[in-house]
Amino acid sequence: MRILVVDDSRAMRMIIERTLVLAGYDSHEIVHAGDAAEAARLMAEAPPDLILCDWNMPGTSGLDFLAAIRAAGWSVPFGFVTSEASPAMREKALAAGALFLIAKPFTPHDFQEALDPVLA
Amino acid sequence: METSTMTYVPSADDLEVITREVWMSFLDGDPAGLVAGGSALGEDRVTGCIQLSGMYVGAIMLELAPAAAQAAAAALFGMAPGDVGPVEVADAVGEITNMVGGNVKSMLPGPSTLSLPAVVYGQLTLPGVQMVRRAELTWRGQPLAVSLWRQGG
Repeated sequence: MRILVVDDSRAMRMIIERTLVLAGYDSHEIVHAGDAAEAARLMAEAPPDLILCDWNMPGTSGLDFLAAIRAAGWSVPFGFVTSEASPAMREKALAAGALFLIAKPFTPHDFQEALDPVLA
Repeated sequence: METSTMTYVPSADDLEVITREVWMSFLDGDPAGLVAGGSALGEDRVTGCIQLSGMYVGAIMLELAPAAAQAAAAALFGMAPGDVGPVEVADAVGEITNMVGGNVKSMLPGPSTLSLPAVVYGQLTLPGVQMVRRAELTWRGQPLAVSLWRQGG
């Protein structure tokens, strides 16, 4: 399966990838995008099976990116990985079509809880 | 007015344990890689800082000798240390500070929120906050320190 990680911080993309590996998802293909435009390009090349996206990104925010891909007809499972996760943010994320919201600092167990139902 | 009576503050050992877990997860799988103590940081350093607001007002800082900061960025990105530039160092130190700070925050009274991480080359002064805990460590022969700060006193 192909997991697309979208975050403007390359360091955070690497931390998410390491956590995916620690959580046991090392057999999946993990691809990185630094913004929504690069993510859209990678999605056009090969559709992902899951998108993990930052909430705050320069240009198109994670929430706007989710709205855009849903409007374009993509039903790919989508989850947020964010610094803060208030109840209001969770509500917005779920209303927009996200399956989950993982807050930093996260653990491999947090990833397993959120991702197993999607990738199993 | 809110008054705090029994506020638990993580110990220096807690800071060390949290930092070791972050290091082992993302930078160095060797349990003996990061060791307590060692030489003191010089004035030349890279400082990552994340501020807390809410029930606990303060900050968490990660300070590294420049060589340690460069090695941390290289380890995170899978690069040779010589290929790591200031942009990679700032990105890596910022997100490592974020992970350490988020874990320290989980031990503090809440609710509180974390700022985005800031990274500076050199020492950082935050007016009005005082250091309450500090753990000094050594990684690959280079010093680093993690500290917890609190507003007022």
